[in-house]
Amino acid sequence: MNGILRTAVFAVSLLLPVAASAAQTQYQLRVDGLACPFCAYGIEKELERTDGVESLEIDINAGTVTVTMADGAAMTEAQASRIVEDAGFTLGGFEEVRTQAGNKPE
Amino acid sequence: MRLVIVRLRSPCFALGLFGAGLAGAAEAHGPVFSPAPETVWKGGTEVTLGLHADRAAGAGEKEKTYELFLEGKYGITADWEIGIEIPYARKESGGDEVNGIGDIVLDTKVQFWKRDLPGAQYKAAAFLKAKLPTGDDESQPRLGNGSTDVIAGLATGYESRRWYWFASGVYRANTEGAGGLEKGDRQFLNAVGGIRPVLTEYDEPDTVLMLELNWERAGRDELNGSDLADTGGWELFLSPVFWVTYRQFAFRGGVQVPIADGLNGRQATSDYRARAELVYHF
Repeated sequence: MNGILRTAVFAVSLLLPVAASAAQTQYQLRVDGLACPFCAYGIEKELERTDGVESLEIDINAGTVTVTMADGAAMTEAQASRIVEDAGFTLGGFEEVRTQAGNKPE
Repeated sequence: MRLVIVRLRSPCFALGLFGAGLAGAAEAHGPVFSPAPETVWKGGTEVTLGLHADRAAGAGEKEKTYELFLEGKYGITADWEIGIEIPYARKESGGDEVNGIGDIVLDTKVQFWKRDLPGAQYKAAAFLKAKLPTGDDESQPRLGNGSTDVIAGLATGYESRRWYWFASGVYRANTEGAGGLEKGDRQFLNAVGGIRPVLTEYDEPDTVLMLELNWERAGRDELNGSDLADTGGWELFLSPVFWVTYRQFAFRGGVQVPIADGLNGRQATSDYRARAELVYHF
């Protein structure tokens, strides 16, 4: 019985690190001045060039950009602000959303 | 100043006295026939391939111009861009026909004010252009002015997800070219309203419709210091324009329809001007 219990605890302890390392970070940027899709392409271009950015989604009608980072990568608000300003806009809000890989934001 | 009556063949050419006087006025997502306060993003490049056509008739003359132009712009910062436009024109007047490189234009623009709101933006910019004497000014009709001309102006505008408006004022100072001919200085005032009829998503084609009101005035031309009759005056145009964009591509165009004029003496008046452009930025 003790042997079975020890085996079970050992198996669970192996699974935990795997689950934790799959966490990706997402940021939602609220971008003021975002009115035109053709102009917004500049934000897409700037973000794609940024280290650690895995994917992004622009919602032109909501005025938001959702950025998904690679495992272990992060973005600061100052970094996001610089990127948005270089694209010709103003950062109106910056929110971090932490999620598990493959899942929608909690 | 003494008024001299000299009948030059095609005296008001260079695109019918006014023509595409703003030389590369169009911006990627602004009006087609007048300037906008937009600039390319920092490190961005915008390339435009365009076609301009115009026809003027009257005073016993019929003039046509077809101009293919290649324009490039680069964003030094998000608020400062530089550019160059290279035109290739074909001109017909009074039975004569000529084609070749026209006057190359170098330009710079600084966006000095901006206010960003959720889903909307106000902007204002100042720009400066130099039209170089690279076109043949001895051909008949002339491909170039034979002089270095300076163009300066201000543009402001508002864009939102649904509505647009722009306003601009431009001054073009012409200098004396070969043979002692100096074209009259020009002034331009423009007002534009626009609408995005359907709000689409970011990765879908986007269409905007606009209506421009373009007023142009030119001073009299001078030949060796004396004013030339049958030159100068003003024209007013109503110009429906559109643009359709998809990702980093844009297709835009429009037509300028003359609705009023106050031209001096006997001159060919504009029948129409049309413009179409393909724009790509990266």
